[in-house]
Amino acid sequence: MIDSIIDKVNNLLRSPTTKGVVGFFDDDHECVVAATKMREAGYKHFDAITPFPVHGMEEAVGVKRSPIPYVTFVMGLTGCSAGLFLQYWTSAVDWPVLVGGMPMFSLPAFIPVTFETTILFGALSSVAAMFAFNKLPKVDPPVLDPLLTCSRFALWVPSTEPGYNEDKVKAFMEELGAKDIKSGEF
Amino acid sequence: MAHNHISADQVNPGKFELSNRGKTIFSVLSFLGLISFIIGLSTNKEQTWHAYLLSYFYFLSLGLGGVFFTAIQHVTKAGWSVTIRRFSEAMGAFLPFAAIGAVVLVFGAHDLYSWLDVEYVKKDPILAGKEAYLNQGFFIARLVVFFILWLLFARVIIGRSTKQDETGDKMLTAKNVGTSIAFVLVFALSYSLFSVDTLMSLEPHWFSTIFGVYAFAGLFQSSIAFMILVALYMMKKGHVKGLVTMEHVHDLGKFLKAFTVFWAYIAFSQFILIWYANLPEETIFYYHRSHGTWAVISLALIVFKFIVPFIALLPRWAKRTPGHLAAVCVLVMIMQYVDLYWLIYPNFNGEHASFGFIEVGLFMGFLGLFLFTTMGFLAKHKVIPVKDPRLQEALDHHVSY
Repeated sequence: MIDSIIDKVNNLLRSPTTKGVVGFFDDDHECVVAATKMREAGYKHFDAITPFPVHGMEEAVGVKRSPIPYVTFVMGLTGCSAGLFLQYWTSAVDWPVLVGGMPMFSLPAFIPVTFETTILFGALSSVAAMFAFNKLPKVDPPVLDPLLTCSRFALWVPSTEPGYNEDKVKAFMEELGAKDIKSGEF
Repeated sequence: MAHNHISADQVNPGKFELSNRGKTIFSVLSFLGLISFIIGLSTNKEQTWHAYLLSYFYFLSLGLGGVFFTAIQHVTKAGWSVTIRRFSEAMGAFLPFAAIGAVVLVFGAHDLYSWLDVEYVKKDPILAGKEAYLNQGFFIARLVVFFILWLLFARVIIGRSTKQDETGDKMLTAKNVGTSIAFVLVFALSYSLFSVDTLMSLEPHWFSTIFGVYAFAGLFQSSIAFMILVALYMMKKGHVKGLVTMEHVHDLGKFLKAFTVFWAYIAFSQFILIWYANLPEETIFYYHRSHGTWAVISLALIVFKFIVPFIALLPRWAKRTPGHLAAVCVLVMIMQYVDLYWLIYPNFNGEHASFGFIEVGLFMGFLGLFLFTTMGFLAKHKVIPVKDPRLQEALDHHVSY
């Protein structure tokens, strides 16, 4: 019983291992140059792993902009109209109450709540979208090398790459000037 | 990092020269302003002073906004903005002329502020109660104190920056932190009181405690817009190649968007409290502005000072496309003028707006003078602070997505 629960949690948090090739580079600059060449050579699913954020790496690897802003915008508009409609319906249609001699539908009075629901919907859905796009809560990226969080820089080509051929990838890594190349299942 | 790697010790910006054509245009503008001021004073004295106050407040705010932006860069020890800081410093060069403008304003004060009329105040118990603050002596004393403080701080903060170009002394940057903190505090108080004195007291019975913040919101929004325009112009002319890039402009664009929202937030905060409380002495301000032509201008403010710039600045590309961004900046600057017009004119005119050559002329006059001092400052000094210790940070600045 407990074992099956642990299994379920494990399945939720862990992703299956992937075969692939890792090439290591000496510094961030070499890694960016190599990533640019790799993208230009037509690689699609590769990634760069560095111990700190490297300027220009997004462009070099060809990372597309996050779609989260569009989710935020659409959900913000939804929250805006939902909040406004809620107040209109409750205070002017379903249970009209006269307050201070103002009209039943008093837009200025409704703006603060409309503003809040806009922010609420936008913010919560941004977080939800962030989880969805990052495939969270799975939190076990392949551990290619412990030093990658410390001093080493690497390019990683998983076997999901279209037309993946281990020897060809290794040869290409060598051509890019990788100092150390290893392959395996991570 | 690999795109445009310039090392801070190799920086050698080209010299920006004020072209003869530019000088001529600015002089002609200033001259036209002077002419229309004189003609206005002899034909329609009162309206001329209204127009004078409007244009004066507009450009004084831009000048102060430049110093304020410079100060917050020092307070936050910002590295990204070093190469654009000279543009905001240049705007502060207008302040000495603004001080002269304040002297001129005192001469027109009797046509603007009804509380200066001693007989009128005596008959009005509310104004009599406010006499301790709203009287000629204290009004002038405040103006003198404000301008001494503003000129002093601007001179010290900006002077250290230009001195550093020559000496390269890193301590000047460190000293500017404390001075800038002091200026930000002084500015918050003095500009609030200044806006109360010069704009809010046009209707001396009315009061709004958030008025100073409202004036500041307009000041900062329009100052950022002007800075973006200067940055885009200098980039287009090739004076700052590799020094000021779209990365800097992008971040200024974010500032502009943020303070567009800030203005709307403050404007609404002022409105809703008055609307809800519904007290006649407070609602009179919005009563004037929701009738006749003023209602149209009120709506135009909501649409063109908030909704349109907000949506137009929302996407990433909008802040990185010079033509688009420049158009939004011009719109914001026009709406800042409309905003001040909306604050000043309904106090004097009935239901209908009046706008003519006096307003246009005085605006052109101040514009010419402002551009002359701002661009003149950039021509006199290096276009970027070449020896700032944080220069490298600005050169490497990169907005990631």
